[in-house]
Amino acid sequence: MKKLIAILSVLAMLLALFTVPTMAEEGPIRIGTIYAMSGGNAAIGENILRGIDFAVAEINAKGGVNGRQLEVVRGDHAGDPAQGRSEAERLITQEHVDVMMGCHMSVVTEVVAQVCTQYGVPMITAISTLDKLSDPDHEAMDYFFRLCPLNSVYVEDMLKYLKDSSEQTGEEIKTIAIFTDRAAIGQELIRCVELYKDEYGFDLVATVDYSSNATDLSAQVLALKQANPDAVLCDSYIGDATLFVQTLKAQGFTPKMIVAKANGFTDPAFLTNLGDAANGVASVVEFNPDLINGQEINEEFKAEYGVNMNGHSAESYTVVWIFKTAIEAAGTTDGAAVRDAIAALDIQGEFPGGRKIVLPYDRIKFENYDLAGVPHYRDNTSASVAIAQVQGGEWKTVWPFSFTDTKILYPAPLQ
Amino acid sequence: MSIFLQACVNGLLIGGFYSLMGMGQNVIFGVMKIVNFCHGEMLMVGMYLTLLLSTHLGLDPYACVPLVAILMFLLGALIQHTLITPSLRTNSFTNLLFLTVGMGMLLSNLALVLFGSEYRTIPTSYSQTYITLGPVNLSLPRLISFGVLIVISIALFAFLKYTTTGKQIRAVSQNPVGAEVVGINAKRIYILTYGLGTALAGVAGALLTGFYTIFPTAGSAFGFRALIVVVVGGLGSIPGAFFAGIFLGILETMVALFISPSYSDLIVFVTFIVILVVRQLIIIRRK
Repeated sequence: MKKLIAILSVLAMLLALFTVPTMAEEGPIRIGTIYAMSGGNAAIGENILRGIDFAVAEINAKGGVNGRQLEVVRGDHAGDPAQGRSEAERLITQEHVDVMMGCHMSVVTEVVAQVCTQYGVPMITAISTLDKLSDPDHEAMDYFFRLCPLNSVYVEDMLKYLKDSSEQTGEEIKTIAIFTDRAAIGQELIRCVELYKDEYGFDLVATVDYSSNATDLSAQVLALKQANPDAVLCDSYIGDATLFVQTLKAQGFTPKMIVAKANGFTDPAFLTNLGDAANGVASVVEFNPDLINGQEINEEFKAEYGVNMNGHSAESYTVVWIFKTAIEAAGTTDGAAVRDAIAALDIQGEFPGGRKIVLPYDRIKFENYDLAGVPHYRDNTSASVAIAQVQGGEWKTVWPFSFTDTKILYPAPLQ
Repeated sequence: MSIFLQACVNGLLIGGFYSLMGMGQNVIFGVMKIVNFCHGEMLMVGMYLTLLLSTHLGLDPYACVPLVAILMFLLGALIQHTLITPSLRTNSFTNLLFLTVGMGMLLSNLALVLFGSEYRTIPTSYSQTYITLGPVNLSLPRLISFGVLIVISIALFAFLKYTTTGKQIRAVSQNPVGAEVVGINAKRIYILTYGLGTALAGVAGALLTGFYTIFPTAGSAFGFRALIVVVVGGLGSIPGAFFAGIFLGILETMVALFISPSYSDLIVFVTFIVILVVRQLIIIRRK
């Protein structure tokens, strides 16, 4: 008898598994999201989810996708890859999500992407920038796509900005130096600058590093002063970023341009701590409220949530629109069909029935390509970042030139 | 040459802080023969006290220094009286090690809960003021801080050398049993010295706020350097700690200037280990 019950229950479970897909073409389309909603990174998760909710509300108000409403099913990875895996399996097998978005730590994204590929659920990451997620080791993760620029693109854009700046400043930047944390973030910056410096014709005259939360950075700044580069590229946590700018002034060294790879430099405390002393410092940003295509949406977003849209909310907003467009093109929510539709997508300028792309680029297309001799798969090759500069104590977008009216403050006054 | 002079001045300015921290550590070690592992966290508490006093009472950070010194003295005295004195009786080094390490963790986590993980500064009208003296650039807050800590160091020397209490402290540090025999209340001296050591760390914190960021783990890098200073300058020696602190500051900047900034930590720690070993060998040979 017990055996019979066991066999029957297994059969019932199998049946349940097989019946789900046929039922799934009715009712709301379910978007699974896996971000940290608890733990030390919960604040980042909140910004991402705001972007998603904002897009879902906008799309549902316009009649949804293929006549069906969108629904968000939230998972919480709490910063832990193991929890990311179990949440991904829960969302797919129990919540029956049609598509997946995640995550904000690249290690977790990798695990979740593997689960999605295994179950045939299309996944797009809005913000995972680690280069290797799309390298040959991950070629087989063919349900996984990346919207955001790669780490190396961030750095390449910093160099492009330096190159382009002469158009406005009339002076060419020839020599550069790196100032960065000795931790992994710094090694990544150094690696990427080495990769691109020759292509853009820059002479790297000094690489200066320090350990996090340094007691004093005057020796490092003196080393920079001796090398006297035209521009300094940096990546630091907030405490060191603050100390760095103060020490630059104390040691009487003001490089003409300072470009940071976000991080501590875009922390709100950076401007609070330094005020006008930060004027002229530039940084990579994924989105800034004054971007030409971002101003309108930022107004609406701010009215809804009381805060400005940030890079994470803008990118996750865009991913929801990509899913909408792809599902409409596929005419179904079948995993393989949606995956093929995403791969075939080529959005130029604006989404059908939606806004212009709110990010600092005007095309979205996922492609396989070569990056510095290494093949990469299913990345949005048009993705780029913008550069913002502190002017009058506020971040103003200054590059790409076609996305802003603000001119570069040159040389950086630091006062 | 101007870069060399500038590096010397930079080393001197930051070395002053290592001195102050090392002297505080050595006052405590000299008397009680314990290493105060929460010395760096006391500096951090001094920073947050300055932040509170300057935001709530509107005081200038430098005007807070005497207040911070008094409050930190009281905090140190309280910790000594309630926690350390009872543990001293057990004569167990590990007990005191865990007590001071644990106290440090408690303080930095408490700061995290109370103030959050944000990095703060205390902006003043002169925090962005810079002075050029010949080939050397100086930031005004760093210069003021250095001046104040030189005055404090001299006052500390004088206090230990000429006052009755100072003499009692030195007596206890040289021979605790003998000191008790001649009628010195050792327990009172313990409270006084731990309070004094804590106050010196707190003052270092208050003086740092002029140009450094305030965050819950701000003290650890300084606390660690205080240990190096103590080892290099000689355990228990106040003038030794003063000069070792300045030496450490100048060593850091010189290594960065002549070798590479990447190696400055490495070489500082190698020097530390070499001095430790060489001194041990000399002591063994003398025996």
